[in-house]
Amino acid sequence: MTENIFLITLVVLAIIALNTKKLRRAVVYLGVFSLVSSFVYLLYGAPDVAIAEAIIGSTITTVLYLVALRKYQVFSIYYTSNVNDQDIKRRKNNSAFLNNLEAFLIKREMEPQIIYSTNPIETILNQENFDLAIHHSEQDIQVYGCAEDYQLDAVEEYLLAYHGDLNIHLIRCAEGADNEA
Amino acid sequence: MTDHSEIISRMTGLLYPFILLFGFYIILNGHASPGGGFQGGAVLASVFITRYLVEPDRCIRLKTLKTAEKTLFVCIILYPALFLFATTTNHTELMNLIYLVAMNFLIGLKVCSGFTIIFFRFAFYEGGI
Repeated sequence: MTENIFLITLVVLAIIALNTKKLRRAVVYLGVFSLVSSFVYLLYGAPDVAIAEAIIGSTITTVLYLVALRKYQVFSIYYTSNVNDQDIKRRKNNSAFLNNLEAFLIKREMEPQIIYSTNPIETILNQENFDLAIHHSEQDIQVYGCAEDYQLDAVEEYLLAYHGDLNIHLIRCAEGADNEA
Repeated sequence: MTDHSEIISRMTGLLYPFILLFGFYIILNGHASPGGGFQGGAVLASVFITRYLVEPDRCIRLKTLKTAEKTLFVCIILYPALFLFATTTNHTELMNLIYLVAMNFLIGLKVCSGFTIIFFRFAFYEGGI
């Protein structure tokens, strides 16, 4: 009877961990999942395995996942424009587009880092290690991102919903080909 | 983890001796009760990992740990061989006990240094930061 309750709890915790929106919360649910599964091992008479599961599953794996999430938190955005330097400075002050993008990324637990560059967009695509590269010309805004980045879908959805009037093109590059650095 | 939390650093400082004691208890009682070298070694490694949470500095000496791990590996291979071949056929109870405890101890230290190396390699040298 007790085993059944804990086994059902395991399934519920696994579904919750899959369906949470924030990754950090999912990591915590996975830690609780490991703890409950180690208790189930104990109920089935395997205390050795239970100790190993409790230590490795819920301590070391959780800390490793948290460190990995922290490493991917910094989100670098390169911003270039067709116009000259003074105009970039002016645009920096009153560009609602970039500010909104920044606020959106902060809400998703990222740390946006915007780099204003004077290089042409091709140099950035070939040389820099970017998460997003934005090219602002007179008519439209071109946004480049890696196809494997899981944040990109959310960014696209957000841009289309709030800045659909700005004529935005989102271009997905393959990892490795354009993003060697 | 760049911003320090006073509560966490004080509490983990208080907990270190108990974690160490628990780890050595699991290792040294491994032949009689649940646990053993691997589990105790993982508990000992968690001391170093929580130390990273408190102050993430690079003053840990990974090279020394790597040398220690290799030395322990050689010891783990050599010790059973010597025990089997050097002694006569009738092993007493006490000798078996000493053999088991020493073997668990060696494995525990090796697992501890291995986990610590894996974690600090990952935390300091992999990825962007």
